[in-house]
Amino acid sequence: MISLLLFADGEGVRGFFRENWLVLLPCALGFVAIYLLMPRANRLPALWGGVLAGLALILGGFVLARSQVFSVETILFLAFSGLAIAAGVMMITQSNPVHAALSFAMVVLSVCGLFLLQAAPFLMAATIIIYAGAIVVTFLFVIMLAQQEGPSNADQRSREPFLASLAGCVLLASVWSIVHKTYQPGDVESLLATLTKVAAVKNTDDVKQVLGDPQTMKPTERDLPLVEQLRKHFASLPPDHKTLNDIAAIKLHWAKLDVDNLKASAEAVRKELEPHRNRQGSLGSDTPHPKEKTPVRFEPGKLPAGNVAAIGRTLFTDYLIPVELAATLLLVATIGAIVIAGRRSEELR
Amino acid sequence: MFSPEMCLWMIPFLPLLGSVIIVTLGRRMFPDRCHVPCIAGAIGACVCAVVVFVGVISETTPLRFGREIAWIQVGNFSANFSLRADGLTAVMLVMVTFIGSLIAIYSAGYMEVDESYPRFFAAVSAFLFFMTGLVLANNFVLLYACWEGVGLCSYLLIGFWYEKPSAAAAARKAFLVTRLGDIGLFIGILILWHNFGHSLEYDDIFVNVKAQYDAGVLDHNLLYWACICLFIGAAGKSAQFPLHVWLPDAMEGPSPVSALIHAATMVTAGVYLVARCTPLFGLAPDAQLLVACTGGFTALLAALIAVTQTDLKRVLAYSTLSQLGYMFLALGSGVVVGEHKLAGLAVTAAIFHLFTHAFFKALLFLAAGSVMHAMHDVIDMTKFGGLKKVLPITHWTFLCGAAALAGIPLLSGFWSKDEILATTYEAWHVSGGAASGIYCLLFFTALFTAGLTAFYTARAYFMTFHGDEKLPPEAGEHPHDATPIMAWPLMILAVGAVGVGIVLGPTHLFESVLEKKWITAQFAHLASPHSTNLLLMVTSSVVACIGVGIAYWLYVADPSAAASVASRMASIYDLSRSKFYFDEIYELAVVWPMNAFAFICRVVDQYVLDGLVDLFGQVPAVFGYLVRPVQNGLVQFYALLMALGLAGFLLSVLLR
Amino acid sequence: MSPAHLEGYLVVGAVLFALGLVGFLTRRNMIIMFLSAEMMLQGVAVNLVAFAHFRGNLGGQVLVLFIVAVAACEAAIALALVLMLFRRRKTLDVSVWQELREPDQEPIEDEGTLEAEEKPEDFQHLTPAGAEPPARKDTEEVSHV
Repeated sequence: MISLLLFADGEGVRGFFRENWLVLLPCALGFVAIYLLMPRANRLPALWGGVLAGLALILGGFVLARSQVFSVETILFLAFSGLAIAAGVMMITQSNPVHAALSFAMVVLSVCGLFLLQAAPFLMAATIIIYAGAIVVTFLFVIMLAQQEGPSNADQRSREPFLASLAGCVLLASVWSIVHKTYQPGDVESLLATLTKVAAVKNTDDVKQVLGDPQTMKPTERDLPLVEQLRKHFASLPPDHKTLNDIAAIKLHWAKLDVDNLKASAEAVRKELEPHRNRQGSLGSDTPHPKEKTPVRFEPGKLPAGNVAAIGRTLFTDYLIPVELAATLLLVATIGAIVIAGRRSEELR
Repeated sequence: MFSPEMCLWMIPFLPLLGSVIIVTLGRRMFPDRCHVPCIAGAIGACVCAVVVFVGVISETTPLRFGREIAWIQVGNFSANFSLRADGLTAVMLVMVTFIGSLIAIYSAGYMEVDESYPRFFAAVSAFLFFMTGLVLANNFVLLYACWEGVGLCSYLLIGFWYEKPSAAAAARKAFLVTRLGDIGLFIGILILWHNFGHSLEYDDIFVNVKAQYDAGVLDHNLLYWACICLFIGAAGKSAQFPLHVWLPDAMEGPSPVSALIHAATMVTAGVYLVARCTPLFGLAPDAQLLVACTGGFTALLAALIAVTQTDLKRVLAYSTLSQLGYMFLALGSGVVVGEHKLAGLAVTAAIFHLFTHAFFKALLFLAAGSVMHAMHDVIDMTKFGGLKKVLPITHWTFLCGAAALAGIPLLSGFWSKDEILATTYEAWHVSGGAASGIYCLLFFTALFTAGLTAFYTARAYFMTFHGDEKLPPEAGEHPHDATPIMAWPLMILAVGAVGVGIVLGPTHLFESVLEKKWITAQFAHLASPHSTNLLLMVTSSVVACIGVGIAYWLYVADPSAAASVASRMASIYDLSRSKFYFDEIYELAVVWPMNAFAFICRVVDQYVLDGLVDLFGQVPAVFGYLVRPVQNGLVQFYALLMALGLAGFLLSVLLR
Repeated sequence: MSPAHLEGYLVVGAVLFALGLVGFLTRRNMIIMFLSAEMMLQGVAVNLVAFAHFRGNLGGQVLVLFIVAVAACEAAIALALVLMLFRRRKTLDVSVWQELREPDQEPIEDEGTLEAEEKPEDFQHLTPAGAEPPARKDTEEVSHV
């Protein structure tokens, strides 16, 4: 907090809030909701917090979905993530540990749904089996063993609910605003995605759906946002550069609804743009090693249908040593758990 | 094994080995036999010293050892563990180890009753190590290290009975006063190193100085100050005025220590140093004059004080001062004027006196120790008397030593003292101008002091052993004479005190050894042959006899006369009795201002500096007090702080 | 897979992570704290899977597998530890472990009053018939260190 005071200046703060109010609002609502819902000595009825949490959830969903095409995938995503978040909120606000554990199982199941949407069916199965099947059950066992008389005094209270919720909210707001800034329209990734779509069109209808219909627009509105953003991105190039010509060609061919040439121009620009992607934070390069025999890297957004086979190949080629280490770790943990828990104290005999 | 070069390093090594054995094993394994390693080491060293002596006489060049064993190597400063033995070293070595062995044997009997038997012999052994190292060193750094080492051993032995407050104070006084001199020595060494060839080996420095002298580029002022600084060191160690105040107090140590360290060996280290540096002093006449004046003045002063002291050991201590003064007088008289080059004569005289003095003074101290042993630590001469019959061995040996000290003709003190007088006489005659007058004055001072020496020595002898038999109550009914282990060293030393002079004096054996093996090699340009002055011998004999005669008249023939003479010269008597108030003057002029300064420093330190430091120390304490509630032991609270810190950091990055 | 889609998944992961964090910081039941930590792991897993899809790199999914493995180890060890702590103090409340605070700090006590807890009904005890069995030694109070 001290560093906040040191570094922030009024203009920066105001600018930040102006740009990100849409993101900050659900975060703030969620903060208040969580704070109200936390178990404590004299808390308000859960209804207030529940309503606020629901509001925050809906608002957040709207913020996320507003720039997306309305499809089944989006609906499923909103449903699963909403379920996961709601279950998560319930988990941390339930005073009964058993209910909390069951809510956690719900979180895991919803997350598994998200995994399925992200082309990870094997992970979905594994997570359901291990988390929901094994870990949560173990937790429940321990809870049953330890607290046979139901919720205890400690479960009715929480430690520093205000500060903790605040910290969580600030973290979430920071991450969300950064993510929002990084993947907003105009970014290399979103331009690439649009170009890929344009390059994949099959007929004039597709063109109209992706870029809009040039015939129904007034001439003054015919400045394609895609083209403007691309020009902005390549502004440092000399005026007669081939790429700038290609960009201009996209607009030209779109105005004429010339599908084949539009596809060619979009593909050319896409190839130019591809090296501009931000590779920071990626695990290794996305291009396969020349000596690599079995391809384990794929086109962006296109994972193979044979998920288990592909994961197996990746696991036992690139990640062989970590796999062995993980196996050892599991063994050690098993022995450790037996040693620690096996020590019987007098009163449990 | 017994080649002289090997023996060279074994001389210091054997006593060191003895000391280490006593320190590590002695107290636990053989607490009652701790004298064995010490005596064995000393005798072994003595044998080696004799081998070295023979080697030096038969060889044409000095023996050397360890010139290549590097010790300190910093930039262009280097010092080695280099040892050397020439005529001077060989004489000193034989003297030190021989007397040391005898005194170690005597101590075995003398110290028998003491609880800290091992500690004593460990320190004596260590002392022998340092002293032989000091004599053997071939460069100033090694000499300085051993110089401090003997100082340390002296401190340990004076304060041997550290539970006695006066002994502890005396030890501290001795250490601090000699340290004053050591600073001078250190500065002198630095001057020499810096200006004469960046070397610390004796030969390099001497050759350099002579080369500069011959080339006419020698900075005489610099050499003068270097010599003065060296002499300050020598004066501190050899207890010359004004740094003489520690030696009388050092008698608080056990008598063998007084004999070994504060009469025979350590206090002569200063004389040795000045003698060793004769090639420097010979080229600095002003420094020589200062040395001579200091020596002569100290000799007279100490003799005057000794005349009235009643403590037997104090008398001997002041006599030591006086004799050391004689040696410095001789060294200071080695002037070089034209064809007359007295340096060789002077050094020979000083070292000869050092040699004989070691015998008879060690003997006297050991005999005094024997008296003290018999009288159960009573040493005041007024409390006992007529011990001739009670302690026959002690009486006879003491008589030998006293006669030698008094300068009775044909005994050792006579020969060596006569040489000193002859040197001063020569210096008076060959030098011109003001220096001539000063040397004249010094000559008569020395002659008068010789008479005084005879007087106080005879006085001590007569008061202790003649007159009515009188025993202090502490001594009990039947005081016992020296036991055999104490008697034998006494008798050997007595023979030495009587015979050394007649063997070495008229035969000029001593001179020839020093001349051939040291002087011609080191400073032939400063020495020329000389002849014996018979008239001077007769004069000094007469003076000595007059002194003894007066003492006999005052203390034996007419015992009441002493008191009446004292009352007639009351003021002088009191002045002498109270040691010319030197301790009081020092107390007022040095100690009190120092104490006042120390007090001011303490106040400043305690209230200003410490306050400031404490203030700074309070800052983290206060800060810690402020943040201490954070450490409340709740793991969740710590996690919360982490999360809040992370949130703050992220926000500050985002909002910038 | 558009960046807008990716943004959605990343945000859902962040929300799960933040919720887990809040749960970990506030709840005093050690098991719920632990569940919250697991939920933070779920948030991370969503993140990784989304990126794996977005980049076409299966490394992300593999990493999630490792997370599952580590979470399983963690659950085993942590539950064993929780059991041990529970045996010592007879409660899952993490607040009873305050020994590592500064020496001059007072332990933090609960404040505020809860609604009066229902006391278990006090049933009447009958004196057992017959001779009294000898007292068992191991029922003596064990000191909690």
